[in-house]
Amino acid sequence: MSSKILKFTLNGEPVEIAVSPEDMLVDVLRDKLELTGTKKGCGKGECGACTIIMDGEAVNSCLVPAMKAMSASVETIEGIGGPGKFHPVQETFMDLGAIQCGFCTPGMIMSSKALLDKTTSPTSQEIKKALAGNICRCTGYVKIEEAVMAAAEKMREKQ
Amino acid sequence: MLQDYLFPETISEAVSFLKSNEGQARIIAGGTDLLLDIPEGKIKTSCLVDITRIPELSKITLEDGVISIGAAVTHNQAANSELIQEKAAALAQAASCVGSYQIRNSATVIGNVCNAQPAADTAVALVALGAVAEIANPGGTEYVPVEKMYAGVGKSTIDSASQLVTRVSFPAAQKKQGTAFVRLHQRKALALPMLNVAAMVALEGGKFLWARIAMAPVGPGPVRALSAEEILKGAEVTPEVIEKAAQSALEQANPRSSALRGSKEYRTSVLPVLVRRALEQAVANAGSSCK
Amino acid sequence: MKEYNVVGHSVRRLDAVEKATGTAGFTSDMKLPGMLYAKVLRSPYAHARILSIDTSEAEKLPGVKAVATHKNTPRELFNTSATMTFTVPPMVPVLDQYIFDNVVRYVGDEVAAVAAVTEKIAEAALKLIKVEYELLPAVFDPLEAMTPEAPVIHESHKKNIPGGEVIQIPYGDAEKGFAESDLIIEKTFKVPVQKQAQMETQAAVAQVGLDGKITVWSTTQTPHPTKMILAKIFSVPESKIRVLNPPYIGGGFGVRIGLSAKAEPIAVALSMLAKKPVKIVYTRKEDFIASDTRHAGYVTVKLGAKKDGAFHAMYLKAILNGGAYCSFSCETPGVLGCMGMAVYRIPNQFYYGHSVYTNTTPSGAMRGFGNPQAMYPIESVVDMMAEQLGMDPLELRLKNIMQVGDPWPLPYKCSSTGLAECIAKGARSIGWEKRGKLNKPGAKKLRGIGMGVGTHCSNAWPWCGDYDNAYITVQQDGSIHLATGVPDMGTGTSTSLPQIAAEVMGVGLDKVSITFADSASTPFTIGSHASRTLYAAGTAVVEAARDARKQVLEYAGEFLKVAPERLELKDSVIYVTGQAVGNDCSGSGVCQTGESERKSISLKELAYNAHLRNKQFIGVGRIVPDNAPPWHAHFAEVEVDTELGQIRVIKVAAVHDVGKAVNPMIVEGQIEGGVLMGIGYALSEEIKYDEKGKQLHDSFHKYMLATADDTPEIDVMIVESNDPTGPFGAKGVGETGLVPTAAAIANAVYDATGIRFTEIPLTEERVFRALAENRK
Repeated sequence: MSSKILKFTLNGEPVEIAVSPEDMLVDVLRDKLELTGTKKGCGKGECGACTIIMDGEAVNSCLVPAMKAMSASVETIEGIGGPGKFHPVQETFMDLGAIQCGFCTPGMIMSSKALLDKTTSPTSQEIKKALAGNICRCTGYVKIEEAVMAAAEKMREKQ
Repeated sequence: MLQDYLFPETISEAVSFLKSNEGQARIIAGGTDLLLDIPEGKIKTSCLVDITRIPELSKITLEDGVISIGAAVTHNQAANSELIQEKAAALAQAASCVGSYQIRNSATVIGNVCNAQPAADTAVALVALGAVAEIANPGGTEYVPVEKMYAGVGKSTIDSASQLVTRVSFPAAQKKQGTAFVRLHQRKALALPMLNVAAMVALEGGKFLWARIAMAPVGPGPVRALSAEEILKGAEVTPEVIEKAAQSALEQANPRSSALRGSKEYRTSVLPVLVRRALEQAVANAGSSCK
Repeated sequence: MKEYNVVGHSVRRLDAVEKATGTAGFTSDMKLPGMLYAKVLRSPYAHARILSIDTSEAEKLPGVKAVATHKNTPRELFNTSATMTFTVPPMVPVLDQYIFDNVVRYVGDEVAAVAAVTEKIAEAALKLIKVEYELLPAVFDPLEAMTPEAPVIHESHKKNIPGGEVIQIPYGDAEKGFAESDLIIEKTFKVPVQKQAQMETQAAVAQVGLDGKITVWSTTQTPHPTKMILAKIFSVPESKIRVLNPPYIGGGFGVRIGLSAKAEPIAVALSMLAKKPVKIVYTRKEDFIASDTRHAGYVTVKLGAKKDGAFHAMYLKAILNGGAYCSFSCETPGVLGCMGMAVYRIPNQFYYGHSVYTNTTPSGAMRGFGNPQAMYPIESVVDMMAEQLGMDPLELRLKNIMQVGDPWPLPYKCSSTGLAECIAKGARSIGWEKRGKLNKPGAKKLRGIGMGVGTHCSNAWPWCGDYDNAYITVQQDGSIHLATGVPDMGTGTSTSLPQIAAEVMGVGLDKVSITFADSASTPFTIGSHASRTLYAAGTAVVEAARDARKQVLEYAGEFLKVAPERLELKDSVIYVTGQAVGNDCSGSGVCQTGESERKSISLKELAYNAHLRNKQFIGVGRIVPDNAPPWHAHFAEVEVDTELGQIRVIKVAAVHDVGKAVNPMIVEGQIEGGVLMGIGYALSEEIKYDEKGKQLHDSFHKYMLATADDTPEIDVMIVESNDPTGPFGAKGVGETGLVPTAAAIANAVYDATGIRFTEIPLTEERVFRALAENRK
């Protein structure tokens, strides 16, 4: 198998790693870079658990060849915030009960962040559209939508 | 097995990569269909030629009343483009129905056409819009109507191992022209259509100057409702005329039974409803309403 | 109502930070040194005998470390369900599965498995295994499988009835009851195969030590019973097996009560052969085709009523499709009958039900466990009865619903009910008075409103044994550690159980931590299912905390020289309250004289003081729970596009009597998720099989569960009836959200269209056909 050197920016840091042209980005992130926050729920772009943000857009990393990340800027759940500096949407997911089993959560948060990066005043319909590719079987999406709305408000206040 | 992954910087470089690999290389744009087909063995290729970094292919342009969409334009780019929303609403609507938000961020409109699924949403819209594809061949450039790009169910006339569709072009809707797209589906995302219909109408003095209607999956690719178009041509814009046209759409439709997405009987029964709704919306978008 | 410091508050989940940052541990994320990856070869046929199997080529592939088949794995029969470890006599567990057998009984059945250094190599090796099959006749419908000419699926069960077990529950005299009834309505309903579709597929990592000790990290909802099943399969002492979650599970909904399909035994078998840790993660397709589903089947309801609307007799019958292996196929029809018989005061009832083996994916436990299959039919017939009687269906229900202390067929009491309040609140939310007045003549989109009610259990007794245990240790700094064996599959028990512990111990939630879902470091529990976790494990936690608290106060009594009865433990401080009486020898018999100058001591100081004197406070809770009925009323408003047959749910109002909401935010989340799953059950979710027994809906793309964009307004309201048997008055809530949802929607569709559907899901095509038929 021929291997290629993939160079890209991951959560703000430059990364250089050998990959095969066959590798999918989700597997490179999870197996080679050990960032297992990005989940694999179906491997076919049908559940959104593997959602990451690449050059500003939410994409299913299970359908992105690793090579497509060449020179790109990739954000994963590990890079968007943590204790002391949570992203507003992480805060509201935690505070408003938008998390249950937690398996869809990283992808859901990444889709939400991608939306909020584009607009901090999304309509309910825009939220539903932006998250419709992220399956959640636990919450019925009710508190997730509320959390995104609340995060948007937080972000508007900060602006 | 995949051995290589290339990023050509120009169209001619992309075509020459294909040529030098003698059928072993293949175009990839968004890859959301291709990357499911490769592991399943449906497509065999040793090299992917990624065209999404060729600058001119990422553009949506309007020139002399003609809109062009480059091969790297994603569904979301098309759906969110003000130009498309205003001058080709059917395409914006169709593009916003495909897959999910993430899929639409990767998947390209032209990829949707080249993958040649019978009910590819944007292909249906593009046929109604009268779109023509520009194809870069090793020997030169060729123009083919999107309608003629289907060689069979799931089969495109395009050979992505030797050809590259660079863009699709269609006339922007003018004054008193309207377009619309309607879709019957089991859920609002992550679902293929049970049926989809796109329509473009041109009105004048309370009459239809002409209409173009595409519907799917009622044949190998988007199918023109020619009888309906004929009925509408020169006819008064009335609910009765639209209804009559909608019913006649069945003359060109040959839906198959799908265990997942509706029987032939059901699809046949509701197709006229969708055609009617598409026409009503197109008329409304043309700035007129039924008398 | 009593106000508590921690209980009853919507605090942030204790696992929130880990889950919001992607650092929470799941089985599918695990990696151990030297770990191998497993892939399974599955049957392409619905029913076949394996004549020969040749693995030599696969074994030769570089990177392959072990190949397992029926030839080199234990020939020990088991049942993947946890209940086989706790089937209460005279019932006997139905053991009908091997890890691998020489007969395959459904498309997806396990034939062989490979462990290799990478997943890709394991997959490539599968293609090198040569299997010769002899095809056998197959049957897919339970009614067909009961005919004499149907193929026998298990030689030990000639009539295709798992365990031969037909459940019959007589109550009063049904025959006489119908004879005395003024009105009788009978209808048969068909219910579909629904899939749990939890986000994390079945997964396990097994490590077999050279000393024979086995550790299995997996997605099971029941580590302790799973340990018992594995011990039986591999003939290893239970004390040498440790089963745990790592510690989170990506959802469950019943799909892994017991084994996670066969993930655990396959991983263990391969690890034994390869002498390395082995990881198996089912693909989504495997999860669909080779992992339990909800039981489909046929349910008949015959309801008799007096002219004044009093229900007088009911006959309920269920024939369920059990699929190829038993799993929970004996218990599910039992719960279906019991729950169906428990909602209304009906003096004369009879239930008859059982499952039938077919050559489809095994049916097992799924949220609701038979109850949704009962309530969609029953609540439809109740609405029909209301129409026949000329009564408002809401009033008819209010007239007949079970009240506290009413006799009923269940072996525990109806100890509390807030159902009438649920009905009143839900009716207000949906605007019940608008019912029947929503449509203009000639409208092509018709609106309708409907309702459904129901109950459920709060644990698994009497359908299987049910007991629970917990430890509480006071750490040397006065913080609290709780150990309980129940998993948290997303339902929030790893937060609400510590809330209970904190409340009883008189400390803040920040002082409590929890170890859970580990068979080695926690005492036995039958796990997280049956809406039991908070109710049953919570009761054990209360007991353990009371025990620890008692020890703390006794020690503090000695320290402060007062009787423990005069001490109060609040906010981690022990205070002396009240006045000394005489020698203060009251109560515990611990007699103190000469009251100390100090009137308080912090738990921190006390615990450290105890530590210096060689003592730790260790509370033990060992309980056998009672059982209690949660109640719920759902109201739905729908719009039917009569030209296309499509139904849009506009709103669902879901009001639930949960006894006491220990964490209201978590409770709401349980109900909201259940409601959406119930909407899917009503409208779109179904797995169908083709004529060869292959699943047609074997992916998220094909299986129509709702996305965020398909979610209507869901108005959840909580009613608290404070059940006398539950911890702080709490009852079960995990499953209830989808129990009456399909019924409410089907009744709303009837209100809109005048069509009574006897089969769900109400797909576009089914509704369109019925509308067309109706127009004729």
